[in-house]
Formats: sequence, structure tokens, C-alpha cells
Amino acid sequence: MKTIVRAVVVALVLTGAAASTQIASASASSKVTIAKNSAMPTPMCPPDDPNACGMR
Amino acid sequence: MSQGLFVGLLSYLEPIFCALVLLSLVRSGAARKFIFLTSLLGVKLISGLACLTLLGLSSRGIERHLAYQMYFYVYWISYAVEAILSLLVIYSIFKLAMAPLKGLQTLGMLVFRWVAAISVAVAIGVALTPHLSGMKFMVSMVTQLQQTSSILTLCLLLFVCFAIRPMGLSYRSRIFGVSFGLGFLAATDLVRSAWLSHNSNMYSTVNIVSGLAACLTFLVWSAYFAFPEPKRRFIVLPTTSPFLRWNQISMALGDEPGYVAIGGIPPELFAPAELEIMRRASSKMPANLEGQTGMHHSISA
Repeated sequence: MKTIVRAVVVALVLTGAAASTQIASASASSKVTIAKNSAMPTPMCPPDDPNACGMR
Repeated sequence: MSQGLFVGLLSYLEPIFCALVLLSLVRSGAARKFIFLTSLLGVKLISGLACLTLLGLSSRGIERHLAYQMYFYVYWISYAVEAILSLLVIYSIFKLAMAPLKGLQTLGMLVFRWVAAISVAVAIGVALTPHLSGMKFMVSMVTQLQQTSSILTLCLLLFVCFAIRPMGLSYRSRIFGVSFGLGFLAATDLVRSAWLSHNSNMYSTVNIVSGLAACLTFLVWSAYFAFPEPKRRFIVLPTTSPFLRWNQISMALGDEPGYVAIGGIPPELFAPAELEIMRRASSKMPANLEGQTGMHHSISA
């Protein structure tokens, strides 16, 4: 049990660390790379977008 | 089931599961102990319901552009509030986890505050490049802050997981459950950010992963708060334990120093009994020491 929990935690941390190296290059280009942890659509366009960001 | 339907289903399930965790928290009587988590879940629930209403009313009750504008502000304002509350949740969880080791708790919280302050400074510093201004500056800074917050959460999870025994906790403790949920959300957040940096789309496929992660976390938290928590174990550490040694050192570091009155003390500050003791003591002193103890004479006079 202890080993399994530790392995899962280490896997989570490694996944996070690997993912954070991929974001570094994107944040320099000032793209929106953040979003809530939710299934809801992320508003990526400015609020006055003429297409309403493709909202259905 | 199509992707759109599945995302829709997850969007509706999220507030339901969030309400379930809140209910379990309140019923277990742990809402006060986990006050920041309760606040975070409350904000998530309210913003989730508001976003769902706006998405539902778009092109039906409200004009599409107006609905998007409202959705934009509700989404990002609640995101900012949730980000601040998440940091406070991490802080409070660390405080609760370290409660038996008071010295390390004080030292750890001091380090935590410094790390948080340095992270904010670094985020502002990274965002302060010549070509960035206004909205782009904000985006860059918030992205950096979000990454820092996620990495801090993962560090907390790693610490709680590996130092669980000296803190008297078990894997069934709520502190571990909350840390695990936060760590899971943080890892998903980082993966999602990496994904969005390559494919930014309002209705991205990664929404499914985020929705599933959120629902799973809410279910884990509900289970932890629905069942009674095992009592914190009696902590027995070997005398050679580094935890014990560092705790003793940290406690000594936080001690208030004692103060010694050297001079310039008016006699009125002393009680008559104290003055009498000093007068008797000075009268018993040999004559050759009287020169060195002139101060005592002046006080007793």
C-alpha cells in the first residue's frame, strides 16, 4: 500500500515537472496557457471578440 | 456518446460533486478546520453554476456576444480568486500537517512565506520584459504564478507523502487526502497548460481530462470527509531522528531573548522590598568592591 501510494505521488510529481518544461517556451510568447481545472470551455479570446470566441 | 455530450455531462457533474464535498465537509464538522478549502469549494460551486447558466442562456435568453463577455469576466475573476485560495489551502494544510512539531512548523511556515514572496517577485520579474505591456504582461505574470503555485502544491504532496510517519498521520488522514487531491489537480493543471500552449481553443479536447480530474478529486475528497478520520498516531521518534533534532533547534531559534537592566533605572520602578534587599546586599559588600558597584548604591539610594 505504502509503495503504491508513493509510486503514484512520484509519478504525479514527475508528470508535473515534465509538463512544466513544455510551458516555459509558450509563456514567453504571452499566449494564454492557463485554465481552470474544469470541463467548461476556456475563454481564450478578448472579451470584445467579434466572433464571441466561437461560443455556441 | 459524442465528445460534446461527454464534456456537457462533466460540466454538470462538477458542481454536483463539488456540492457533495461541501456537504461532507459541513456534516463531518471539519469545515472550520479546513476553512480555506471550504471557501475554495464555495467559489468553485458558485462560479461553476454561474458559468453553466451563461453557457445555457447563450443565444437563447442572452445575446451571444454579451453572454461571452459575461462568461469571460466570471471565468477569469473566479480563476484569480481560486488561485489565491489554493495558495492559502496549501499554507493551511502545511500548518495542520506540522502541528505536532511546533518548531519545524514555525520554521517551515517562515520558509513557505519567503518562497511565496520570492515566487511572486520572480513572476513579476519574468513578465517585465520590454515587449510586454498591459494584458500581455498580466497573462505572462499570472501564468508564471499559476505554475509556481502548482509546483509548490506538488512539493507539499511529496513532503506529506514521505514525512507522513513522523507527523503521526496515515494515508487515511484527511490532510493526506486533501494534499493528494490538490497534487492531482496541480499535475493536471501543468499538463493542461502544456497542452494549451500548443493548441489553444475554447472547446479543447483537454477539457475532458480536466473535467475528469476535477470530478475524481471531488469524489476522493467526499470519501475522505464522509468517513471518520483515524486519530493521529502517538508519535515516537528515535532520539537520533533528524526530525526531532531539527524541531529542537527550530524551537530554540524562535525563543524570545531575556533582557538585563544595565543602568538608568529610576528607584521608583522597584518595590520597597526589592530596595531593601539591595540596600542590605550593598551594606554587606567589602569596601574594595564598592567602587565597582556604584550603580547599585545609586539605585538603593
